[in-house]
This record gives sequence, structure tokens and C-alpha cells, in this order.
Amino acid sequence: MDLKQVMKDYFLDLDAASKDPARKVAWCTSVGPAEILRAMGFEVFFPENHGAMLGATRVCMDTIPKANAFGYSPDICSYLTSDVGAYLKGVTPLTRAYGIETVPRPDILVYNTNQCKDVMHWFEYYGREYGAPVFGIHPPAHLPEVEPNHVADVVAQFEALIEVLEGLQGRALDEADLRRACALSKEATDLWAEVLATAMARPSPLTFFDGTIYMGPIVVLRGTEVARDYYRALLDELRTKVQQGTAAVPGERKRIYWDGMPIWGRLRSMSDLFSDNRACVVASTYCNSWIFSDFDAADPLPSMARAYLKIFINRNDRFKEDYIRKLVDEYAIDGVVFHEAKTCPNNSNSQYNLPARLRASGIPAVIINGDLNDLRCFSDEQSTTVIEAFVETL
Amino acid sequence: MDGGRYYWGVDCGSTQIKVCACDAEGRILHKRIGRTLFPLMEHVRKTLVGDGSEPTPLTDDQQSVRENHTLVATGYGRNHIGFADGTLTEISAHFLGAQELLQLTGPYTIIDIGGQDSKVIEVQDGRVGQFVINRKCAAGTGAFIEELAHRLEVPLGDLTELARAHDKDMTLNSYCTVFSGQEVIKVLMNGERLENLIHALYASVVQRILEMTSITTEEVVFSGGVMNYNPVLLEMFRESLPGHRGRLVDDAQFCGAYGAALYARGLEERHSGRGHLNLAEA
Repeated sequence: MDLKQVMKDYFLDLDAASKDPARKVAWCTSVGPAEILRAMGFEVFFPENHGAMLGATRVCMDTIPKANAFGYSPDICSYLTSDVGAYLKGVTPLTRAYGIETVPRPDILVYNTNQCKDVMHWFEYYGREYGAPVFGIHPPAHLPEVEPNHVADVVAQFEALIEVLEGLQGRALDEADLRRACALSKEATDLWAEVLATAMARPSPLTFFDGTIYMGPIVVLRGTEVARDYYRALLDELRTKVQQGTAAVPGERKRIYWDGMPIWGRLRSMSDLFSDNRACVVASTYCNSWIFSDFDAADPLPSMARAYLKIFINRNDRFKEDYIRKLVDEYAIDGVVFHEAKTCPNNSNSQYNLPARLRASGIPAVIINGDLNDLRCFSDEQSTTVIEAFVETL
Repeated sequence: MDGGRYYWGVDCGSTQIKVCACDAEGRILHKRIGRTLFPLMEHVRKTLVGDGSEPTPLTDDQQSVRENHTLVATGYGRNHIGFADGTLTEISAHFLGAQELLQLTGPYTIIDIGGQDSKVIEVQDGRVGQFVINRKCAAGTGAFIEELAHRLEVPLGDLTELARAHDKDMTLNSYCTVFSGQEVIKVLMNGERLENLIHALYASVVQRILEMTSITTEEVVFSGGVMNYNPVLLEMFRESLPGHRGRLVDDAQFCGAYGAALYARGLEERHSGRGHLNLAEA
């Protein structure tokens, strides 16, 4: 399946839904309860995905300053500032990519603070702008373990959300629809996990940078057949590459783990930089964050609650350290690169001594300063030197 | 000389281009320095050619490297020097240079203060163990010193003696060049002595470097042009690092270029099967 076509079909259908009074659109955070929204018949738009598009196209460098001037600080989430600035300027990368004039108008906005609180401010802004209801899931945060009371808490919030959605749609949730969305998400996420695991092969058939592109459907099409079918096809393709010994980085010499957000506006140059140094970024916290092994169609709401509570970003530092150590071992990693994103402290795991703890146990680690979108916070020269020197010294 | 072979390192930094040549034994044969001006390659070539009194690695048309010469580039401009036989980061270059010059066998830390960035490099078991580079702001770098000297209208060459004449310890913001600059103006408005202010400026550089990472080795080696040109910094680092042995590597500003020249020797010998290279293969 062609990924470009998959994403194009998704956005064109969203656009059509937004123009069709009979269809409703929900905005959802990237690790929000998309399955519930789909089961209730909403088409789902993910502003973070739009933020990443603004970053990758570097349109954000015009839109972030607009949001800053409007009163959103340069120090907060640059997905938020990219996106709000784009709204203020009346631009979207969807126009150039798909001929779509604007992002779809929301009938409801649903966020989950399992990743950060900036999504709350972000969605509340649009709730005010569009006059649409905003529903927030506020789960227990930074957990060492996910306990039954945490799950019960989130299930109760999901149930409250369902009531609101039922009011908007004028119909009750069909349990079978929810089970089906949950089952499809489970299939897709298991396949995504297998896709990522192909990078355990030496040489790896894919890099983290490929992964940030391949992950589109697991972010925006969870709970659909399209996502499942896409990852089935991708897994076949990558397994063939493994069998044939096809390397994503020809002459792969070092294997790197990437922690933190991608630098969307520098995906190509960062990919080339590692490749030129014959280092392959084979695993990452970021791509792995869309593995939700807990989904269970037989027990949809509690299993969704567990899945969305257990995500890496919602765990304590001990869990994060153990998680990274496990992947370092499984993927035969030579060194860890921490991207400290200026505007995304929640996704920057270098700030609480973790790299030093890894180094102390013999795992080389280095930090680069940058940002997911705001390239004002990023120095190409400095990052190049740090990464090249790191690879030289491994 | 080993059959007339020359190994050249070019350290193309943000403010200066340093060139160093060595022979097969690692003996330094030539050193030259030029300013980093633009067009960059014009000034790189000019520095490599010198005044004509010494050998140059460049062919007559200055487009490539002569036979019997091997040239490696380091520094921020390293990837722009198309005729180089190889490149190496400053971190590895300063390590190679310091290692050869000092022949230290135990663990040590290199502090290299450059024009645009500062690095703290920990050497363990004869190789780079870990390193950190300063954050985005120029605070703690040569650019920071230059910027504030400019604001104070003091020639760079006078700074060390003025700092040594201080009679009061003061603290300047070490977080950001702009914050520091604003603080300098405020302190001057309050009538503070220039000597105390300049001493505080240096102290903020020392502070900024020492907050980058914990220095765990007894031996601390200083490298880079800023340490070369501002000798008071060594005195201040020594005061701030009790229990450590701080020493300035000879010709500190050429340490990176010399390291690159040693790497060139390793490259050439690897090609000829003798193998001198002690970093990851190029």
C-alpha cells in the first residue's frame, strides 16, 4: 500500500466530512481515545499530526512567531504555537499537499493529558474559537505501575465522554462498534510493534527517520482497517528486506537509540548525517510510543484505559530508565542520543540525570539541544559536531 | 622527515583558521594561523599557502592536496574543505592533540574553550569516554568575552592584566550573553571598577564551563585559543578546581589542528597498511 495515498485518502475524507452536515468531526490528541470517537461515528482529526506537518514543511517558522505575538510563549509546546499561528494566519500544509483549504471544523475536541498539559490549553483555544465542546481526560500521571484504581478512574472518564458523544450524535454507543475499533487498533498496533522490531536485524531495514513517516497511520488511523492493512503490507516489505540483507544505512557500523521528539524540520538532514557516518538509528522512544499492547476487544474500556495509561511519557523515571535499557539490549545499541527539545520537556528525558546514569553503567549517551518544530532552538552546526563526535568515539 | 611526507591538520574554527603540519614521528613542522573570513575557502587556502617561506600542502592551482601530503580538516568549517583527505570533529581532534603532546596514561579531562563553543571531554583508558558541549548561548565561549570586551571598549589583549588587578569578587550572570551584557551596564552605572567587572566576566566563563558537567578526573588539561589568549583563565580555573591538577597544553590554540594532523598520519598509514589510527575508522 502506498503511504502517500493512505494519508491523502484520510485527509480528503476528513475534508469531505467537515463539509457534510450529516457527518461529524472530532479532534483528538495523538494518544487520546480515538477508538471511542470512531465507534461513535466521528471522523477523527489529530492536531499534533498537523503540528508535525507544519514542522516538517517548515511552515511553522512563519506561524510560531505569529502565535508568540498573540500571547503564546516561545517556551511552550511548539506544536501548539505552530498550529495556533497557522490558524491565525489562515494557512495549512494540507493545501499544498492535498488541495484542502482548511483543517476540518470540529464538532467536539477531546484531549488526554497522559502526555502533557499543553494539549489542554491548545484544545481549549480551539473550543473557544469554534464554539465547540471540549472534553478532557485527566488520568493519573507519571506512574511507576498502572494499578486497578488508575484504570477505574480513566474508565469512569471514558464513560463520561461517551455520554457527551451520545448527546452530540443523538444515539447510544453500540458496544460492538467499540469492540471492533478496539480490535482493529490492537491488530494495527501489534503489527506496528513487529514493523519496529525488524530493526533488530543487522543490518536494520529501517531507521527511526523512516519510522517517523511510517507511523502516520498508527497515529491518525487507529481503529480502522486501513491502518491494519497498511502495516501488514509494510511488515511484509521489511521482512523481505531483512531476508535480503537490505540495509537502511549501507555499511551500517553503529546502532543508535534516539530518545525524544524528532526534529521535524531537519528529518532529512539528520537522517543523512547518521547515514553518512554509517550509524543507523534503529530504535526510539518516540516510534515505540504507539505500541499499545493492552488493547483487548473483549474488555474495551478498561483495556484502552490501561493502554493509554501505560504509555512511556506517562510513567516515572525509573520505568523510563528500565525501558530504555531493555531496548538498548534488545536492539544491540551502541549509544543513545537524547534530543532535548526546548519546548517539549515532557518528551525530553535527558533533564533528570538519565544520560549520566546510562553512562555510568557503560552505555554511551549524548545530548543534543533542539526542538520538535521551532528551529530557532536548533543549531545545525553544533548538533552535527556532537553527533559526529559521538559516533567517532563509540 | 619520512620520505618528505607531510601530515596537515586544518582547524577551521569560527574565528580563526589554524594549520599545523607534522611528520611521521608526530613532530610539529609548521604552524600557521589566519582569520576565518569569507569567502571561506579563499582564506583557508591563504592560510595553507602561508607567506611562501614554508611548504604548502596545496598544488599550484590550490585546488587539491599534493602527493606526499595528507590533509585532515576539523572545526566548524571542516565539511566545507573539499580537498581534505578526511574530516574529524574538534572533540576527537583536541583529544588526539592533547594525548600526543602530554602522553598522559591515566584518566583526564580536556576543557577546550573555543570562539563559539566550549567542550568538556573526559578521557578514560586512552579514548574519549564522554563529552559535553555548551548549550546554544555563547555564554562561556570566546564570543562572550569578545562581546563584552567590545561593550566595555577594552582591547582583548588588556583583559587579563585588568582582571588580575581586581580587588573584589563579583558575580555576573553566566546564563546568557544578553543578560550578562545588561548586568554589565547596570554595574558600570553603579560606578564599579572596570577591573572587578572584567574579573567577574572571566569568573562567569569559568562558572559556565564548570556547570556543564562534573569534573571527576584529577588531571585537567586546557586547550583552545581562548585559554591561550586569556592566561588569567587558567589561574581562575585552578582556583575553582581545588584537588585537581590543571595544565595548559603547549600552543593550546593549535591543539585541534595538531590532532587533525595526527589523524591524517593515521589515515595515510592505514591506507599503507601500517595503521596508526586510534579512533573509529574514517
